[in-house]
Amino acid sequence: MTGVAERSASILDQPEYRVEGRDKVTGAARYAADVVMPGMLQAAYVTSPYAHARIVSIDVSAARALPGVRAVITGADTKPGRLGRRLQDWPILCWDRVLFIGDRVAAIAADTAAIADEAARLVEVEYEELPAVLDADAALAAGAPVLHPDAANYAFLGGTRAQRSHPNVQGQALHEHGDVEAGFRTSHKVYEHTFTLPRTHQAYIEPRATLVWLDGETVRVVTTNKAPFALRQHMSVALGVPEPRIVVDAGHIGGDFGGKGLSIDEFVLYHLARATGRPVRALTRYADDLQATNTRHAATITLRTGVDAEGRILAHTSRVLFDGGAYAAGKPVITLMPGDAMLTLAGYRVPAARVEATTVYTNQVPAGHARAPGQPQNAFAAESHIDLIARDLAIDPLEFRERNIVRHGDVDVTGKPWHGTDGPALLARLRTASRYGPSLARPNQVNWWGWGVALGVRHVGRGRASMVLRTLAGGRVELRTGVSDQGGGAHTLFQRIVAAELSIPLDRVAVSRGTTDAVLSDPGVGGSRVTPVQGSAALDAARKLNAKLAELGRSIDDASEIEVTGEAAQETHEASTYAYALRVTIDRETGSLKIDDATLVADVGKVINPVALRGQLEGGFIFGLGQAVMEELRVEDGRVVTANLGDYKLPTIADAPPLRIELITDHPGPGPFGAKSVGELANPAVGAAVANAVQDACGARVMSLPVTAEKIWAELPK
Amino acid sequence: MTFDYHEPRSLAEALALLDRYGDDAHLMAGGTATVLLMRQGLLRPGHVIGLRAIDDLRGITPTRDGGLRIGATATLRAVERSPEARMYSPALTDAFASVATVRIRNQAMVGGNLAHADPAQDPPPMLAALNATVSIRSSRGERSLPIDELAVDHFTTSLAHDEIITGVVLPPIEPGSRETYLKFLPKTADDYATVSVAATLRFAPDGTIAETRIVLGAVGPTPIRARRVEDALRGQPPSRVRDALELVPDEVDPIDDLRGSAAYKREMARVWTGRALARVTR
Repeated sequence: MTGVAERSASILDQPEYRVEGRDKVTGAARYAADVVMPGMLQAAYVTSPYAHARIVSIDVSAARALPGVRAVITGADTKPGRLGRRLQDWPILCWDRVLFIGDRVAAIAADTAAIADEAARLVEVEYEELPAVLDADAALAAGAPVLHPDAANYAFLGGTRAQRSHPNVQGQALHEHGDVEAGFRTSHKVYEHTFTLPRTHQAYIEPRATLVWLDGETVRVVTTNKAPFALRQHMSVALGVPEPRIVVDAGHIGGDFGGKGLSIDEFVLYHLARATGRPVRALTRYADDLQATNTRHAATITLRTGVDAEGRILAHTSRVLFDGGAYAAGKPVITLMPGDAMLTLAGYRVPAARVEATTVYTNQVPAGHARAPGQPQNAFAAESHIDLIARDLAIDPLEFRERNIVRHGDVDVTGKPWHGTDGPALLARLRTASRYGPSLARPNQVNWWGWGVALGVRHVGRGRASMVLRTLAGGRVELRTGVSDQGGGAHTLFQRIVAAELSIPLDRVAVSRGTTDAVLSDPGVGGSRVTPVQGSAALDAARKLNAKLAELGRSIDDASEIEVTGEAAQETHEASTYAYALRVTIDRETGSLKIDDATLVADVGKVINPVALRGQLEGGFIFGLGQAVMEELRVEDGRVVTANLGDYKLPTIADAPPLRIELITDHPGPGPFGAKSVGELANPAVGAAVANAVQDACGARVMSLPVTAEKIWAELPK
Repeated sequence: MTFDYHEPRSLAEALALLDRYGDDAHLMAGGTATVLLMRQGLLRPGHVIGLRAIDDLRGITPTRDGGLRIGATATLRAVERSPEARMYSPALTDAFASVATVRIRNQAMVGGNLAHADPAQDPPPMLAALNATVSIRSSRGERSLPIDELAVDHFTTSLAHDEIITGVVLPPIEPGSRETYLKFLPKTADDYATVSVAATLRFAPDGTIAETRIVLGAVGPTPIRARRVEDALRGQPPSRVRDALELVPDEVDPIDDLRGSAAYKREMARVWTGRALARVTR
């Protein structure tokens, strides 16, 4: 007879079939934009052409008179409503001032999208242009225009907003540990470098889609938002509707990459649905998604690090300045900064550090969360900085990392003892797997090919979740969850965990998703959370069912009507580390680069969905590669000029070099069966790995992303 | 946005529609450019005249003298895959294969590609280097235009509003001619060129360059003939190419945009012209 452990091992060792795969391949899967209601109206918006302006007057009479228009509303109708994930600072519609090009001043509901668009063009808005704050440094100047003078009146969900040093600060934080000044005093050498990062977009395939209608007292919402319970809370606070009267339905989501935790349409559609008594839908065009949602933050990062004569890090300070754009609404973190704003030298032993990070308001498109928020910026800066230090000390960059990588018991940049990957083991794997060639064996020689290494660190997700597991006839079980699958494979993961733990075939485990009125509250997808948190809740449910069966002396085949609630509280602070080694060739006449070979070593713990895990790592690499070499949401005078996917370039499969992936699976994490998280594990470090390889190949050091051919060409030794 | 869509079955019918609706009409072949412009609100015609149902505009056929005629509604993909086009010049099919993605090439058509007059497009420089002429019809009659006289500025042609491009005619390739098309794509394989170069070259029996045509894309308001470079090389040995390349940066007129600064593009025009000439002289 097969034992439980062996049986579960065999299920998890098989490549998975996606539970939603057939529906997606056949087109049966229902996305938010597929939902149609009888009598449904289409929404369009009137948006600001100015980065900063006062609204003098709005004339909607011509728009209202257009046949087929059912409602035209302005900020006067939604005032003082504001939306946001933590700080509700984004007006549902602006009523006194507009703060970025694309800010909404009026909304229309009409019989067709074409009529709604036409009506939007008929709305006449008179503006008085105001001086705009177009970069983060300008926002902090003494006489800078204050963009949110009424901030004291904004709702702040869950806690209180910290004091700020300047009214244009969205959020700021300071961390210090050890004796920083003494560290610098005793340093053999001190290095300081400044790096700049552009805005980028999450670039999911599916633009936002939202449908809202009133069903008696109930507000019904169909949305692409990936955290439906959180959205329900945000709507409740912003609209004054009690949470139980809001029902959010978020089914299949066509990609998220961090961008779909913020919703902006639901709030105004509620007002339009109330004004018309009909369902109202907004389908975002990609141009609008690129210009007016929540981008990754642009950043300027200055790092200063002191080392001893052997290249060991003694002290570190950093100043990180994020351009938060017009509203902080997209950031869920209590500090109102990107999640990992403070991780400026992640993965290294840092005996003393002072880290300052600030996010400011500007008159630019608002910034929010994007895959591993804050990390691509900080990892590019830190891993470039580390490489520059190693080269100056004539220490091989991989060896420099081996000397400094954090070991168990060491203190890292957070000031806490390290709890995570065995760093030296990781780098040893990287050295062997990549066949890394020591670049400094050829000092001052330009070979036009070279190696670049970069390290990345990501926390394993934390949080609480619950889901219900019940027995069905015929030895089957059903898991009911509030998790919407944004493409990561969450439902397949839950199915495999439950089947493995119950030792039953996969096809006897059904996973069903429910709307917010039908399932237990769920924190949603994000923060590398689904596998360790919701996955643990699924495992807990299966364990409780097994215990109940044992107690009743029954088997799953003759169990009737058992229902258990799986719960998880994953509060362990654990970090996963990964590292890249890339080999590039540079075209000496044009500066263009080609990645010949790439190796990724990642500490992933127990693998549950082997195909999806690999997909996340490969996808993370290509996602990171896009941001490394081509992606830039370029903004000129407050206007996004890369407003379509022809100009905002994304990598295609033809741009993806061969990637060798080595998994470290023997260091269990806090997730189910020892799993960790991988969704945000692979993308942040790619930029620095590329920049480091470029310098190794040709001597050109690029201090900003993306690392374009022209930037390399401009830095080539002439 | 609303408009009337017409799909004439004959060229005569299409010309009559053009005459009837005048400035309010817009011709559409594959629609890859027209639909984008309409969606962006840059083009708001009252009447769209689709050309895809007109049999006379189709086809890729060798001419009796050894040249090639490409119909206006041949798709870019059809040219790329045409054995006749490949036989005529592999560089021609290379240039067509360089456009965007296979999905776009299956939809976009040759006449539309030329009429759109986008200076970053791939086929026009190659067609110009091959000395193509454009066949044009209106209710007033028929005319042929050297392809370098078609585009006059960014997205602007010398076509009158009542005219339709019916096809492109390529003259016979002279024996010993070599042709190439190079496209510089420093970011992604799916992009417009930062600079592109089409070159044809023929040696004289004494080993000097008898004739060369060099046309650059994406570095000016239209495809640019590098005439001073051509003149400097005519009658010269290939060893003179290096010197002649120094003339390239002053021949082009690029702008700063997302694909590079003007200064970088000028220098890249020199580098890629050199690479194109290396291919046709080696």
